[in-house]
Amino acid sequence: MSEIENKDTVTEEIQKDFVEDGKNKLIVKCKFCGSKILEKKTAKYVTQEKELPLMQQDANRKEGEVQKEMIIEYYHVDHMYVFENIGFTHPVENHKYLICADCDAGPIGYFDLDSKHSYVALSRIVHS
Amino acid sequence: MAKTYDYLLKLLLIGDSGVGKTSILFRFSEDAFNISFISTIGIDFKIRTIDLDGKKVKLQIWDTAGQERFRTITTAYYRGSMGIMLVYDVTNEKSFENIKNWIRNIEENASADVEKMILGNKCDLDSKRQVSKERGEQLAIEYQIKFVETSAKDSLNVEYAFFTLARDIKAKMEKKQEASNPTPRSGAHQLRANEQQRKPTSWLSRCNLL
Repeated sequence: MSEIENKDTVTEEIQKDFVEDGKNKLIVKCKFCGSKILEKKTAKYVTQEKELPLMQQDANRKEGEVQKEMIIEYYHVDHMYVFENIGFTHPVENHKYLICADCDAGPIGYFDLDSKHSYVALSRIVHS
Repeated sequence: MAKTYDYLLKLLLIGDSGVGKTSILFRFSEDAFNISFISTIGIDFKIRTIDLDGKKVKLQIWDTAGQERFRTITTAYYRGSMGIMLVYDVTNEKSFENIKNWIRNIEENASADVEKMILGNKCDLDSKRQVSKERGEQLAIEYQIKFVETSAKDSLNVEYAFFTLARDIKAKMEKKQEASNPTPRSGAHQLRANEQQRKPTSWLSRCNLL
């Protein structure tokens, strides 16, 4: 699962609007409550294939099953104190999931316990 | 990486099980996205950024939920913590009496100069109250610790409590810094700190009036 930077053509549009010099051009906020997650230009835009559990799990799913989706676009945050406001879940395998510090919505991304780097999914936040 | 803050403070929430520590830090609202996934894993800690007298302060706040049943919190947990919120439930006498035990546990395990604050939580449940506000204040005076009643449910005084604790830690750090590294401008700094402390926090005291 290596990072492929600025390569994918499907992501060109997003890059133009939200990415400048490889970083987030705008403030990153929670989709649900608007809590400020990242300051401008503090995270690096990266593409990688990585599954995240859905924020809303189907109530009728099988017991113990976790529904996931593949996400390609992430903001890479190299140190946890770069975040303005963020929550970390207890570890699951080698991750801690990232959630909104104000409304607990999540996962909006994950923290890798080995590298200590965090990844925020662009599709699970808003820019402002 | 450029430093994105002026101060980084590690804070802990401590107190008996059921006093509402988790609700002070975490909302676990009724929305579907929480019930289904995040709440089953549980939350470890949060990072919050606040502006404190013109300085950017990052708070790393840890809940001790789940560990308090062992009656003590281990040294590892206290390591590096600069501030501790001691939480009891105003509707639970025992949780109030145990604050003394928690203070002893802190004295035995945490660093000697850790800042403390006592929170009497659930002050919205006045009809079930077992511990008066006066007794809370008395305990705080006895240990020379700041005290406030809170309601995590109504978000009452919670933010005030965190700002107060953070401000006290910051003041202590600045004092230490000045002592070890005096500058001709230290007088000006002092003045500014005092100025900010006088700033009224008008929304802080509904419970205090009960």
